[in-house]
Amino acid sequence: MLQDKHLNKLRELPEPVRQLAGLVIITIIVILSFAILNIFFGHDKDLVAKMKKEEEKNSEKRKLSEMMSNLPSGILVTYDGTDNYKLSEELYEKVCNATKLIPQRTLLGANLINLKAHQIYTNNGNQIQETFVKWDSENKKCVAGYVLKGTIDGKEETITVSGDALSFLSTGIDTRVYFIKNF
Amino acid sequence: MKKYLISITFSFFITSLTLAAVTGCQEGNCDNGFGKWIYTDKTMYEGEWAGTKKHGQGTETWPNGYIYKGEFKKSLWSGEGVLIFPDGSTYKGEWANGFMNGKGTFTWADGKEKTGIWKNGELQE
Repeated sequence: MLQDKHLNKLRELPEPVRQLAGLVIITIIVILSFAILNIFFGHDKDLVAKMKKEEEKNSEKRKLSEMMSNLPSGILVTYDGTDNYKLSEELYEKVCNATKLIPQRTLLGANLINLKAHQIYTNNGNQIQETFVKWDSENKKCVAGYVLKGTIDGKEETITVSGDALSFLSTGIDTRVYFIKNF
Repeated sequence: MKKYLISITFSFFITSLTLAAVTGCQEGNCDNGFGKWIYTDKTMYEGEWAGTKKHGQGTETWPNGYIYKGEFKKSLWSGEGVLIFPDGSTYKGEWANGFMNGKGTFTWADGKEKTGIWKNGELQE
């Protein structure tokens, strides 16, 4: 009886008021649903940390990509005596950290004074096991290198060739190590 | 779909034609004689050829800055030659099978110099 009385009162309310009330109720239900879900699943600190890391990574990537697009295309060097674009110390570190690729000519250049590396590289059909480019913060220089695996005189050999990455190629999209000084 | 396929094939054809036009023998005779050859990675050789091999005097310029001027045998750096490294360091002397082999002088970019007998790229102390 009392329920019917209340329902009738509600039915008598103007249409816009009823619609607004409905909207408010739905909003409250949605918020409450998320609050309940959050109680059960929302306390994953690892997930929050992971998301933050991912965000930082993306931001770093954006910055690097912006830096790449601002670099002139062509050869970037760290030494004097050429017409190529000379990197400042700050840019050198940034370019080093952004560089992942080492083209074949760079390897061939470094192999010129490493017979064993040359032999392995030739015998294994120009296969590279691994390449690395990393910034040596202690000595403030970029170190690049590669690992080669193959056979010499029937014996399995693995060799790591590394040196200072002193020049890079900027393609406008990425940067590549262009000269490894290993002498 | 058909239009896309035609466009892709056409682009591939044009790219191949362009690449073919800028690589290979660009000047002279690259079989037997004097000619200029450009590789796909922009490495360039200008010099003497014998039996389609680099043989005799020539200059090989790599896109990353290495320049070898001197004697070639069967396409390898062999004989007297100078290699200029991208940073300005040089090796002037004897070569065999693409390596510093024999008497030669290595000069670092800072002026430091070492002369001696080299074997497969290493100075024999």
